[in-house]
Parts: sequence; C-alpha cells; structure tokens
Amino acid sequence: MAEKNFMVRIQNLEKFFGEDRERVHVLKGVSLDIPEGSLYTFLGPSGCGKTTTLRCVAGLERPDIGSISIGGKTVFSAAERVYVPTNRRPIGMVFQSYAIWPHMTVFENVAYPLTIQHVNKADIKKRVGEVLKIVGLQGLEDRPAPKLSGGQQQRVAFARALVNEPKVMLLDEPLSNLDAKLREQMRFEIKALQRRVNITTIYVTHDQGEALAISDQIAVMHAGKLIEVGNPHQLYSRPKRRFTATFLGLTNLIPGKVVELGGDSKPGRLETSKGVFAFIPAAGLHAGGAAVLSIRPEHIEVMKQKPQVSENVLEGTVKEAIFMGDAYHCQIAVGDTLLRVHTHPFLTMNPGDKVYLHLDPQSCNGLPAEDTEGMDESALGA
Amino acid sequence: MGRFINAQTVILLGCSLFVLYLAGIPLVMLLYGSVRSAPIGEPGAAYTIQNYIKAYFDREFYLLFWNSIKYALGTCLVSFAIGTFLAWVNERTNTPFKKLFLVMALIPFIIPGILSTIAWILLLSPKIGLINLVVKNALGLESAPFNIYSMGGMIWAEAIHLYPLVFLLMSASFRNMDTSLEEAALTAGSSTFTTLRRVTLPLMRPAMFGVLLVMFVRGIEAFEVPALVGVPAKISVFTTKIFLAIHQFPSDFGLAGAYAVTLLIISGAGVLIYQRVTKRTERFATVTGKGYRPRVIDLGPWKWVTCFIAFLIFLLAVIMPVFILLWSSFIPFYGIPSRELLAKVTLANYHYVLTYPLALTAFKNSFLLSVGSATLVMLLTSVIAWITVKSKIPGGVFLDNLAFIPIAMPGIVLGVSLIWVYLTLPIPIYGTIWVLLLAYITKFMPYGIRSSSATMIQINKELEEASMTSGGTWFQTFRKIILPLLMPGFVAGWIYISIISLRELSTSILLYSYNSTVLSIMAFDLWEGGQYTYVCALGVLMVLLLVAMAVVARKLGARIGIAE
Repeated sequence: MAEKNFMVRIQNLEKFFGEDRERVHVLKGVSLDIPEGSLYTFLGPSGCGKTTTLRCVAGLERPDIGSISIGGKTVFSAAERVYVPTNRRPIGMVFQSYAIWPHMTVFENVAYPLTIQHVNKADIKKRVGEVLKIVGLQGLEDRPAPKLSGGQQQRVAFARALVNEPKVMLLDEPLSNLDAKLREQMRFEIKALQRRVNITTIYVTHDQGEALAISDQIAVMHAGKLIEVGNPHQLYSRPKRRFTATFLGLTNLIPGKVVELGGDSKPGRLETSKGVFAFIPAAGLHAGGAAVLSIRPEHIEVMKQKPQVSENVLEGTVKEAIFMGDAYHCQIAVGDTLLRVHTHPFLTMNPGDKVYLHLDPQSCNGLPAEDTEGMDESALGA
Repeated sequence: MGRFINAQTVILLGCSLFVLYLAGIPLVMLLYGSVRSAPIGEPGAAYTIQNYIKAYFDREFYLLFWNSIKYALGTCLVSFAIGTFLAWVNERTNTPFKKLFLVMALIPFIIPGILSTIAWILLLSPKIGLINLVVKNALGLESAPFNIYSMGGMIWAEAIHLYPLVFLLMSASFRNMDTSLEEAALTAGSSTFTTLRRVTLPLMRPAMFGVLLVMFVRGIEAFEVPALVGVPAKISVFTTKIFLAIHQFPSDFGLAGAYAVTLLIISGAGVLIYQRVTKRTERFATVTGKGYRPRVIDLGPWKWVTCFIAFLIFLLAVIMPVFILLWSSFIPFYGIPSRELLAKVTLANYHYVLTYPLALTAFKNSFLLSVGSATLVMLLTSVIAWITVKSKIPGGVFLDNLAFIPIAMPGIVLGVSLIWVYLTLPIPIYGTIWVLLLAYITKFMPYGIRSSSATMIQINKELEEASMTSGGTWFQTFRKIILPLLMPGFVAGWIYISIISLRELSTSILLYSYNSTVLSIMAFDLWEGGQYTYVCALGVLMVLLLVAMAVVARKLGARIGIAE
C-alpha cells in the first residue's frame, strides 16, 4: 500500500514509566498505520496503553523505543534521535477534562493557537468565527469560559483543536465527563463533525459501545499490546482474538479441541464437553489444537420445541429471564454451563422452562484459546 | 530536542542555579567564616576554632543560652494560648461579634515588629508607661506595677506581636477537621466537654505541636524586642549577642559567626522536627480545605464570658498599642494623654519625618525593596514550583528543599552570612541596596515557594498540555496560561512578602549603609535617638503605605487573573 495514504504511522513503540525497580512496561511494541481522513479509535480497558500511545503521538510523552511519523514527516524516532516537541507537531487535541482555560473567554480560548503564532487580528477573527460556526457556538464568543456548560466546553475544545487546521485531531476520552444522554448525542455530532471537516482523527476510549458507534477503524489494545485492528463490524461479528470477542459486547465462550478446520465454504468442527460444533475458525488454529468457541447471546436461537436439525443444537433449562423491553436477557443452564441468550420479547420465558438452543454455525467463531495472558474475563464486565 | 539553547532551558536552569546560589552560598560562607581568624582580605587569616572557644567558654554563654530558650519558650506558650483561644472562639463557638474578632485578630499582622515593641515600651515602661501611670494613680501605688524591662515584659511584647500567626494556623486546623469524628463521639453519648478532651484535642495534637515548634523558632530568632527592650534591660539572647558582636568596635565577625552557627543549629532543628511532624502533603492542607462547615458549639451563657475575654485581649493587643502609636504621633512631646496635651495636637511630627534628610531615601528604598523582592520572589518561585510540581525534571524535590532552607535562617544569621559572602566574593554590591534585595529574596523565598506550589498543584496538567498541543512554546505556555492561573496565589504571596519585607529589620540592620537605609532602620535610629513622637509618626505612615500596597495588589491581581 502506498505510504502517503497513511497519515500517522506508529512503529514498534515501547514506553516505560518510572525508574529502576518501579519501572512499568506500559507499551510493548505497538505498531499502527492510520489512514488519512479516517476516524481511528484506540479501545481497551484502563491501563492498556491507549492514552499513552495517543500522548506519544502528541509528543506529551516520549517513547523509549520506536518511531512515529505524521503526514510523512518523522516526529519521533528513537534510533535517529528525533523528537519534535508537541508545539511543533501538526496536531489539535481535545482533552478528557477539555482543559478550557478559565481565565479566557470562548473567543480567546479558540483563538489561542493563532494568537501565539502572531496571525493578524482580522484573520483570527474570521477563522475563529468559522470554527465556532462548525461546532455550533456562534454568538458565544465573549462568554467567559467558567460560564459554559459541559457540552459547550467540549465544543470549545473541539473548535480550539480545529482552528489551526491540523493534520491530525487527537481526542482523549472526550465524552467521559458528560452525562449519559449528552454522551449519546455527542457521539453523532463528533462523527458528523469529523466527516464534514474530513480530518484524520484518533479517538481514545474505554467504552466499547462508543467505539463501535463512531469508528471507521478500531485498534483493540490490552496490557500495552495491540490485540487486533479492524472495522467495527469485523471486530464484532468476526473477531480474531478471544480478548476482542469478550471486550466488545457480550459473548459466550465454550472451550474445546479442533477436530477439523474445514475450508472454503465448509465450516470446521470443534469438539467440546457439550458435543461437537460446526464453526468458523480464526487464523492460527490447527487440527488437534485447543480453541474456544465464541457466540454472541443474540446469535443463539431459542426454541420451545425440539428442532428438525440436530447440528449445533443444545438442550437447556432457563435459570433466569429478565425482561428488558426489547428482549429477554436469559441465563440458560446447559449441564453445568450457563449460557447468556437474548430472545425476542414475544417468546415468553420463565425460569424452569425447558428449551432448545440453536447455535448458528456462521456465528460460531473458533478463536485461539490462549491469548488473554491470565486476565480475569469476568472482571471485564463486557 | 534540547540540543540547542532555548528560552525554557535558560529560564529553568537560571532559576535553579539562582536558588542554589541564594540558599547555598550563605550557608557555606557562614560556616567558613566562623572558622576563620580574621575576615577575608585581612592579612594573616587562618583556620581556627578560636571563635567557638571564645563563644562557648564565655562565662555568660550559658546564661545567654538559658535566656534565649526561656524567651523562646515563653513567647511560644503565651502566643499559642492567645492565638488558639481566639481561633477556637472564632471557628468553633457561637460567641457574639465573631466577624469583628477576625479583623481584630489580624491587625497586629500589619504592624511592624519594631512599632509594636515601641508601643509596648510606651505602655509598660516603669517611668513613662501609660498603663503603669494609670494603674499607679488609680490604686495609689508607690512604684510601677509592671516592668517591660524584664523577661516577662519581653515575652509579653513578643507574644502579642506573634499571636496572629498562631491564630491563622490554628483556625486552619480547626476548619479542616472532620467534624463527623466529633459527631460520632457525641452520638456515642459523650458530653461536649468530654468530646473536646477525648476526641478534638487528641486529633489536633500533631497540628498543635507543629504550631508550637513554629512559634518556638520564631521566638528564638526574634530581634526587635530583644534589641529594644532586652539590651537596655541587660537581658541578652543570641540575636542581640550577634548584633552587638558586629556593632562593637572593632567588629568581631568570627565571634558573631560562631554564635550565628549555634543559633542556626537550634532553629534548623526546630524546622526539621516541624517538617517531620507535619508531612509534606499537610503543608498544603490549609489551602485545599474541604467544603464542610465546622460544627459550632453552643456555649450557652458562657458565650458572654468568651466574648468578654476576647474583647479584653483585643483591648490589650490591638486597641492600646494602636492608640498609643496614633496618640504619640500627633503630640509635640511625649506625655500621657491629658486635656492640655490634647490641645497641642499637631502634625509637626509628620512634617518632621517627611522632611528628615534621609526620609525620602528610606521611603524610596523600602518601597522599591518591598515591591522588587515580592515580585522577584513570586516570579522565581513560580518557575521553581513549576519544576518541582509539574515537570519530570530530576532533582525537583532537592530544589524544593533547597528553596525552603532560608526558613531556618534567623534574619540576623542571614545578615552575618551575607556580610561574609559579599566581603569575600568579587561582587561589588556590599553596602548597596542590591545586597538588601538579595537578602530579602533569600529570606522570603520559602514563603513564596509555599504559596506558589500550593496553587500550582491545583492547576490541572491538561490546561498546560492544551497550550502545547495548540502550538505554544514553553515560554508562551508559562506566560499566557500558568502565570494567569497562578494569579490568586501569586497575589496573596506578593502581598504577604511585600508586607514582611517592608518591616524587615534584623537582616537589614547588618547590611545597610547610609544610602541604602530603609524605613525600619530609620525607625530604629530615631528610637535610639530618643525621638519617640517622630518614630510613631513614621510608623503610622509605614502602616498606611502597607495597606495601600495590599489594596492596589489585590485590584491589579483581579484584573490579570481570574476575576471572581
């Protein structure tokens, strides 16, 4: 692929915090290529290194190993001893706290990147007017910053990040300080804004729903490593790694052993304690090796009568069924295993009901068993 | 890349080296000077322990030591009792007129030490003291009931001058106390008094111990009262002994150095213990106080008793000294208030003071030094606080401690050290106003660093990073973001430092020359010359200048910083 299509290239980034014995390895060789004009999300639980990676791109942290380029220009390279300071990188950034300067008005905040470069007053006025219009804050120029609501502060932060026409916009968990309703609304606005300005954007979040909703591409990170990159649809419906499957949305995991991998349009076969399942294998599996079957609760079909087909069918008992309005969220016991299943609300479910479950082979993903590095999956709450 | 020299490197390195110079060099030179047989430059100077032998084997040394300790302890206990009582009344009880008390408690803060000392001499001197004369007449006594020229008198005058500090520190700890701990004791069935004894006081013990230590150090380094009262009364303490060693003819710099090192060790130990008991984080606790309101104790009819005691304290500590200063500044010759004297009220003293040959120089010098040192200290400590609080530059803690060293240096010790520094180093500023400026910056740097760090900690790191990602250089960020956000702390620190530098006496008295005279020195000289009424007029003018400066600073600060 031609290099100029990538706006930001991160290669083999390593970063340590602290000194000597208290040294923590926070980035363990992260490499990423971010296409021009895309909204690219770093997603992962807290402490996974996503914010550190973003701050390395901004130059607010200095990596120990690796290189970063923005728009084809190297801004950091450990090998070549290059470090372009933050203020000379073509970036705009929106911080988690918005970092709106309380001693300035809206206009002064937004105009700051231009005033410090001694742009003439008329141009500043014009440009600030334009960005304030883009973010929907025209008319609030003279409002002192402390008199803004949370949503308004965020818009000011966006305007300030955009006013300079940077090559990359960096967003560090920009929605985490807003209440749930506003957060929902701002998702759409950010997406629309990014499309309108068509600026390469890196978005950091720990909220998988947010990531799915707004991203062109998502890089899933865990414990200082890049786990998997893909578009939201791929990552959700056809994850390649066990961590991705559990962190993005809910899933059921059934461990087993690969009997045959299949191929072309033919599904593979996986032997588990609940029987043999047809499944779609991910890369890296081999016949006879361990694997784990992942299926999302909404991809399990529940029936009260025994179905005609016998492939991928299980028999179970309803343990718990919670009515959620748009669905029942059930826990169904199959032997000693509890499976989470979402069913259509028309199908009334009561604890104790006997049911049959059909696991659609196209939705059964076979994933490498060992890649979560001893992580407690239940703690993810996903 | 920091390979080339930029504004950031220059400023950060420059400020750090300057702090090292200010705090480190005087210490080194003091120790060096105390083991030299003659001042540098004089022929035949050699290393010797003669100074220490002369100091410690003087028959009077142990009396001196004992007097200093007695004076410091007495001052510390009396000021602690008064200050804590007022703080408790003000913060935790429903005593009437509390708001008035708050103002009254802080008035002595703005009166220079030399003036309050003079006021107390005018009130308690056996011959001319107003209180003595009034009480003597009223009770028909043969002799004066009180004598300022005694250890008790000295302790009283010093304690009255120092209690506002206790009041401020104790108010803060009363305010910051988690009152739910007390409420828990009350709900567990203990009475108000038992709660005070078993819960409140034990909880406040570390804070109280810290305040006692601070007051002890303040007492041991006090100069004004020992110089004006102790010297005529022949009660010597370390500070006056050092002063006399230099002011005698010929000056004995070596002996002064040996005494200064001893005094430095005592006050240094006090400061070290203080830092141990109040952990680093707690140094800032007074600023970050929590949002809850302390529980106010209903004293019932006793509230009139506490009210009466408080008024009695203010009558003694504020009203009488202020009255005697004002009164004396308007009369042609010193005398106790009477109808005849009231008829002779005049502005002649003010006229005299303002046309006094050195007055203009002294006013100008004091004003410039006060504004200059306050501004420079706050700018310097803002940069230092940035390094120690915000940056990841190694050595930040060391720099913070370094900037704090001068707090352990009594003014008179700093004076002796700086004499050595500028007699030795080839920097030709000895005897000029510049040496005073450096002395003031050194002496007040710890107050500046305290106020700057406390405010700096409250500035979210992202506010600064937002400026960098907006393309701002370090210098632009510091000037346009950090400094304006620091402004509330900057102004508070500035006002405090400008007040204490305008009344500074103990360091200046060893370093001034004819042309670099300041107001406090002028007051000292007028007093030594017996011109009491002129001193009082000068004092009133000093206080007015201080108030005006504080008001202007607050106005300006509000314009630059966050207007609240």
